[in-house]
Amino acid sequence: MHPTAPSADLEAAHAGLPRRRFLATVSTTAMTAALLSSYGTFAAMAARFLLPARERRTAWMLVSDVAAFRRGTTRTLVAPAGERIVVARHGDASDPAAAALDDFVALSSTCPHLGCQVRFEPQNHRFFCPCHNGTFDPEGRATGGPPFEAGQSLPRYELRIDRGLLFIRVPLEGVA
Amino acid sequence: MGRLAAGLRERLPVNRARLRELTNEPVPHHLKHWWFCLGGTPLYLFVVMVATGILLAFYYEASPGRAWESVRFVSEQASYGWFLRSIHRWAATLMVAAVVLHQMRVFFTGAYRRPREFNWVIGMGLLVLTLLAGFTGYSLVYEQLSFWGATVAANLTENVPLLGVMLRRFLLGGDSYNEHTLSRFFVLHGAVIPVAIVVLLTLHVALIRLHGITELRFRTERPGTPRFFDFFPDHLLTELLIGLVLMIVLCTLASVLPVPLGPRADPLSTPEVIKPEWFFYVAFRWLKLFSERTAFLSLGAILLAMTLWPFVDGSIRKRRPDSEASVVVGIAAVLAILGLTVWEASVAH
Amino acid sequence: MSLEFKKVVIAVLGLLFLSSLVLVQKLELDRRRVEARLDPEPVVVPAASRQCVTCHGEATPGLVDHWKGSKHAHKGVGCVECHQAEEGDADGFDHYGARIAAIVTPRDCGRCHPDEAQEFAASHHARGGNILASLDNLLAEQVEGSRVPMSPHSPTPGREEGSDAIGDAVNGLASAQVGCKQCHGSKVALLTTSGRSISVDDLKPDAHGQPTNRAPLADLERSEAGMPLFDPGTWPNTGIGRINLDGSLGSCSACHSRHDFSARRARQPENCGKCHLGPDHPQKEIYEESKHGVAFRDLKDAMNLDADHWVLGKDYSQAPTCATCHMSGNTRNGGKVTHDPGERISWTNRPPVSLVMDTDNKREVIKEIDPSRRAELLADGGEPWQEKRQRMQDVCLHCHTPDYVTNFYKQYDDFVVLFNEKFAKPGQAIMKALRDQKLLTPADFDEQVEWTWYYLWHHEGRRARHGASMMAPDYAHWHGMYEVADRFYMHLVPEVREIVERAAADGKKAEADAAARVLDEILARPEHRWSRPQ
Repeated sequence: MHPTAPSADLEAAHAGLPRRRFLATVSTTAMTAALLSSYGTFAAMAARFLLPARERRTAWMLVSDVAAFRRGTTRTLVAPAGERIVVARHGDASDPAAAALDDFVALSSTCPHLGCQVRFEPQNHRFFCPCHNGTFDPEGRATGGPPFEAGQSLPRYELRIDRGLLFIRVPLEGVA
Repeated sequence: MGRLAAGLRERLPVNRARLRELTNEPVPHHLKHWWFCLGGTPLYLFVVMVATGILLAFYYEASPGRAWESVRFVSEQASYGWFLRSIHRWAATLMVAAVVLHQMRVFFTGAYRRPREFNWVIGMGLLVLTLLAGFTGYSLVYEQLSFWGATVAANLTENVPLLGVMLRRFLLGGDSYNEHTLSRFFVLHGAVIPVAIVVLLTLHVALIRLHGITELRFRTERPGTPRFFDFFPDHLLTELLIGLVLMIVLCTLASVLPVPLGPRADPLSTPEVIKPEWFFYVAFRWLKLFSERTAFLSLGAILLAMTLWPFVDGSIRKRRPDSEASVVVGIAAVLAILGLTVWEASVAH
Repeated sequence: MSLEFKKVVIAVLGLLFLSSLVLVQKLELDRRRVEARLDPEPVVVPAASRQCVTCHGEATPGLVDHWKGSKHAHKGVGCVECHQAEEGDADGFDHYGARIAAIVTPRDCGRCHPDEAQEFAASHHARGGNILASLDNLLAEQVEGSRVPMSPHSPTPGREEGSDAIGDAVNGLASAQVGCKQCHGSKVALLTTSGRSISVDDLKPDAHGQPTNRAPLADLERSEAGMPLFDPGTWPNTGIGRINLDGSLGSCSACHSRHDFSARRARQPENCGKCHLGPDHPQKEIYEESKHGVAFRDLKDAMNLDADHWVLGKDYSQAPTCATCHMSGNTRNGGKVTHDPGERISWTNRPPVSLVMDTDNKREVIKEIDPSRRAELLADGGEPWQEKRQRMQDVCLHCHTPDYVTNFYKQYDDFVVLFNEKFAKPGQAIMKALRDQKLLTPADFDEQVEWTWYYLWHHEGRRARHGASMMAPDYAHWHGMYEVADRFYMHLVPEVREIVERAAADGKKAEADAAARVLDEILARPEHRWSRPQ
């Protein structure tokens, strides 16, 4: 066991003196502050590096000719980024060419609970998620299961009708 | 508060006194000379390499079709990507330089002598691993020189006696550079080599703790100078200081000389001049001076001699205790390495 | 070092580290701004040119502004880099510490752009100065001007006296200097104190561009600043075939206007249109009529004109411009640009009778008629016209199917051949007959028929063929072959008949008959028979 350095003794000896203790505190504080701020900034830069820019480009995509989209039916389409979207047209069996945007709804097939794919059950007039038995009405609002308890609904997509054609706005980036 | 502390102590039964004794190694006074801190430098740089390497690995894709593009993304699009990549590259350069300087310091102060020969061997292992990390890392960028350098190096491994062909196939994941090669290099660079370095480093530091640091005295020391000082907080502060200096140097280098991205690898077009990274210039030049097999085997022999030098030195000094042979050999070796490196650096072929 | 001191040092170093990170953040923000194109790329003024930029920024600010917008400025290519002159250069002079020359020739540009300079030097563009020995030159210098000393008719009010005085002599070459030579290129000449101008002919430069005959340089006339003065008839001039003092041919700034040397501008038809327009070669107007031109005008903004690389099929495909077909890279030729447009031309429609572009090893058009001799010349480092056509077709095939392209070329070939056989060769034969029989005066352009024949092949015949080559039906027909036919039947034939009649009346019966026979034989052919009185 080797004898320790005298610096520790010196420190102990001077520990009582107020000025020395003040200097020691100041220097320690300054050092700690400098270390935390500089390495902290570096860590913040690293964090920023790991968070890519948030922009998610979208574009309008053609769904269908309005007249060809029968009332009371749904269509499933796959967006360029790979997500499945269910587009449903409500209403009675009147003239299908008379298009009102309110007749249509475009819903994501991804359950807001934990991300499983929902299915539309026409016989039950609802969307059903097989993972935890979540259910949604045709407008996408949750009616049962964990999504209902969390007050969630299926994410919607923006639609527009232009000269008798139905368009949907979809994101462009993804894994596909 | 006291209950919390008591609860912690029950669950983490560390004996504080024993811990302090274990870690607060007495640091010999000669380490107040700054050039003895060359051991901590590569350790700190290794930490920087691991940290920046992990960050870069979030975006790197180890396939020939995507590798270069992912590096381009990091360099040109990710926030601070250019900065982190440049730090990673510059820290690699500095780490190799620091390891070599540290080894030179150990050599010329004879700190490898009995009973510390094993630590020297471990140190040699760390040197080789550091160089391999540099080589595999550069191969991942998939620039022209990455691809061709890796091809040349893999071809050279065939010269290892008996195992050469198998080693080459292992390295490439096939008979030639193919779609598996980059993944291999990535695993080697990102997992196998760092783990090996950590293991060897642990042994390296453990052996230092077990042996204690060689005591050295300098003629210029004032009498009455204390022989040891505390690791905590004294030497730790020194290491922190060095760490900060290194960070400032790295930031400056990364800002003033950011690492560029060369043209994408083209397996169909060999560039006029193929060179490995600078720390391999000495070996490259050596290979050009002799036939491939002679040069390769002689390099192996030299590495072996370097590794076993403590024992060689020991047996020399058994016969002639005052022999300065090691110093002479050391100086000659340093000059030769420098000369060959500069020679290779100054010519195209 | 005491512990406290060490801690303070660490604190200071920590702040230094922090400030270097702040610098890094600033660099990152700048990078993002440039990436988002909020900041233009920085201008790099190299040290040697700093003084030039400062002074000329005040004296000629537009010039410096143009340069700042150029790629040269972004890459640190400044004034001295281009204008530097060697010690032995004829037009070099010392200017505020740098030895420079005002004119930057293709030899100078070729220091950094060797491939382009080499391709250009081998091209017909570089030989544009050859007009100095042609018929066109005669027109401009003699017919429009004066090759002999010319005195003014009367004084010009307001310019009788002083240095502005019109003086005793009229510059008879003014039309050539302001007209032909501004496109074709002048022979650059320096003024001497003895009044003579010296050019390459006097200086006889060597392979490095330095004069071998240095005697004329002794009495160069210089400005106060020491700059050699140029013969004003020869400079300013950026003609594409300019004959420079260092022996090099051409001027890169003809297409890459200084001082921004814009590649973007060179890609657009208006650039070529500075010279390739007008009654004798209306390529610009023809392009504008064609579908290619219509598409270009409409889609220009989407064509990536600013891109570093401009490869058809990769960077743009909306429409071809002059550059696209004649020079630029495309996906079928590896994206390689050529500065020799002749590489893709299969007919030369410049002469009275169009020739196929079989070229010999000096890249001159083979005019040999003998087939075996032609084959010999081609085999000896020459290139057949078919290879050149293939290069052009590689461009067409980006948008058009092979059948379309083949049929188009058949239409084009047929048109050229029709012109050759019906009007050009006959016209040439008729004019030759007149000259052989000495029914024309030795001087050119002093008789009506000479102008008529000139219009037929040099103006109308050329535009017809160009119109056919670039799919402009109106130029091929109404501005083209229609006018050719009119010229031939309503002007050339009657004028020749008149000459023949007058010659016979003047007693040159035999010669007149010989010439008339040539004309009659031509008009007896089936294609001309309709025009003869029944």
